[in-house]
Amino acid sequence: MSKLRALPAQQIALLVCIAALGGFMAVTYPGFATVENAEVIAMGFVFEGFMALGMTLVIVTGGIDLSVAGVMPFSAILTALLLRAGAPAPVAIVAALTVAALIGLLNAAAASGLRVHPFIVTLATMLSLKGLNLVLTGGGPITGIPPDVAWIGQGRLLGMPFPLVLFATMALTFAVLLRRHRFWQQTYLIGGNPRAARTSGVRVSFVLAVVYITSALCAGIAGVVAAATLGSASAGFGQNAELRVITAVVIGGASLQGGSGSIGGTLLGLSFLALLYNAFSMTGVSTYWQDVATGGLVLASALATELVTRRRARG
Amino acid sequence: MTALVALDSVSKRFGRNTVLQDVSLEVAPGSIHAVVGENGAGKSTLMNILSGLHQPDGGRLLIDGEVAHLKGPLDAIDRGISSVHQELSLFPNRTIAENIMVRREPSHYGFVQRGELEARAREALARIGSALDPAQPLSHLGIGEQQVVEIARALERRARLLILDEPTAALTDHDAVRLLEVLRDLRAKGAAVLYVSHRLAEVLSIADRISVLRDGRLVATLEAARATEDDLVRLMVGREIDPLAERVPKAPGPDLLVASNLGRPPAFSDVSFSLRRGEVLGFAGLIGAGRTEVARAIFGADALATGSMTLDGAPFRPRSPREAIALGVSYLTEDRRALGLFLGLSLRDNVVAASQAAVASRLGFLQPQRLKEAAMAFLRRLDVRPLDASVEVAHLSGGNQQKVLLGRWLMAAPRVFIADEPTRGVDVGAKARIHAEIQDLARSGVSVLLVSSDLREVLALSHRVAVFRAGRLVRILEAAEANEETVMRYAAL
Repeated sequence: MSKLRALPAQQIALLVCIAALGGFMAVTYPGFATVENAEVIAMGFVFEGFMALGMTLVIVTGGIDLSVAGVMPFSAILTALLLRAGAPAPVAIVAALTVAALIGLLNAAAASGLRVHPFIVTLATMLSLKGLNLVLTGGGPITGIPPDVAWIGQGRLLGMPFPLVLFATMALTFAVLLRRHRFWQQTYLIGGNPRAARTSGVRVSFVLAVVYITSALCAGIAGVVAAATLGSASAGFGQNAELRVITAVVIGGASLQGGSGSIGGTLLGLSFLALLYNAFSMTGVSTYWQDVATGGLVLASALATELVTRRRARG
Repeated sequence: MTALVALDSVSKRFGRNTVLQDVSLEVAPGSIHAVVGENGAGKSTLMNILSGLHQPDGGRLLIDGEVAHLKGPLDAIDRGISSVHQELSLFPNRTIAENIMVRREPSHYGFVQRGELEARAREALARIGSALDPAQPLSHLGIGEQQVVEIARALERRARLLILDEPTAALTDHDAVRLLEVLRDLRAKGAAVLYVSHRLAEVLSIADRISVLRDGRLVATLEAARATEDDLVRLMVGREIDPLAERVPKAPGPDLLVASNLGRPPAFSDVSFSLRRGEVLGFAGLIGAGRTEVARAIFGADALATGSMTLDGAPFRPRSPREAIALGVSYLTEDRRALGLFLGLSLRDNVVAASQAAVASRLGFLQPQRLKEAAMAFLRRLDVRPLDASVEVAHLSGGNQQKVLLGRWLMAAPRVFIADEPTRGVDVGAKARIHAEIQDLARSGVSVLLVSSDLREVLALSHRVAVFRAGRLVRILEAAEANEETVMRYAAL
């Protein structure tokens, strides 16, 4: 009980929502509570998952990274093009991820070096990349991913799809680092009080560079895995992904003002959204209504949190 | 004995503006050295040079008798000079321990050792007699306790010279007394303290030596034991001013605002009083006693759970500040930067903000020239500097910002004026101006509720003093029986 009370109100509310939605679906739809469906749910949201890990870091520093929705398809397309041109798999993947990292560095340089708000910087990056993606693909898919690369998306390890194993490993690493490691803890200092962070000896620009590079790399990894899973790359990957990712991080308890948030919370946020989308498709709700319902639920969760927080503050 | 830190003919210019000229002073180990002066006298620059934020343009800085060039705040900290800033340099989203040990977290391969982190923070707190739980989030603490955390952090960094800028400005008398005890204790242990404050009585009681700055020059360094408050004021302003003007003539009229049983537990309850026309009613008490909460409720900024009010005989229960303003209630907030001013807007826009309806044309259009004229009248009356309605308010000193905010509420033509800590963190000149303005208001028939943690201010200006303790109005003292002793007895016991 004391453990539970230590959880932020938002995460408790989220757990309740997940349990309620899961319980309702399990009772109403016999096919829901199965290992197969759990895999479908997870795989349906794993690309957003990769991006949400990096996004959590960015939001903790008080920033935002919209460019993930451009970087993810961009690195998928780059990988596919390099493979088609005959590059060996490791070369193609490393090259695509390097380019992703450079985009992250560019975001950080403009945001902290030139002091342009990260919203504007990453919005610009996202728009440019989306255009570039269409230029590179001509609008169609790029196929011809060889089997060894396809294994990254379709193979299994320890009885689980490989993307899920990779995601779990990364999530665990990020969680431990953000919670315990001196370097990554600096993200909370920057988000909590940037001026005090500087006078306390935090190299703010350097830390922000690492954070935005990490976010871009996460999106890059999502792109490579997506290309491998689907056997092709297209400019249509990750449509509106930035909004789903930010939603997951924020309903997981991170504040857009910076200084708060955790990987655990983000995982809860991801789980809830993944569950929600799966529930929509099982119950046959029209895709048009899905966004309406999602928006409503996000608003409801925000209101619920506000109410709980107020009641607690009153004691 | 060699001075721990010494300035030798230090000068500093910003552009063509000379802010410090030929300032020399020495701080000895085991002593408390105070620096006083009006806003703009160069105190902040002096402190910034000592804490490594600025480099002097002329003269030398000596540490332990050797010439030192501080490369930045971190360099200063490494050499044992730590600052406790007026605007706190803490992280509200972290725990007390994480704040004290920031960037010095004990770690293995970069992984923070939480147990040791908290143990060392607890140790640092214990050294200044604080029993705060280091695992608590900082955001749970009041300003007084946050300052304790900052001092603990400085000590953890092995500070030999502690620089404090207006440390008691935001504290109640009770917390201020505790802080001064901590500083005396540090002095006894051999540390040096450089203490900057507007509160002259406090400076005289704690400091060993006092340096007075005026217009960037060192006017004098006095032995505190032989100086008086009048000496300091004279040296600071270069002329005689009465630090606390006389009491308003005692002729309050009939009741204007009557409050009975106001309450919103746990913040406050059972608050009943009547405020007469032309009266200044002081609200005294410790921070957290509920005074600001009551004031905000009267202004309609927060809800009331119980009780009722009448204004000029008619039922009065504003549901928003907008309603209160319309009925002639003004509220000068205690937190001008967060809740009062629009820092990015001009003096003009700040002054007219609560009176737009009055200056707008019948169709609601605002004419720049009329706004400017209306604002200038109040800026002039309050002697705001610079006297330029187009300047952004963020560029003004604290005292002038406060005058701008005061101007806004004067322009709203109140019948009831609630002043919450009206002179917090402002210089002597602005303080005298604000006091005079409050007295003028009362004389002209406006009723004033004066919430202040500066007891001398409350006593000097109020006809009656309402004393709050733990959310209750415990006693209303008539002027004749109100003095520091009686007020503190009801406030603290």
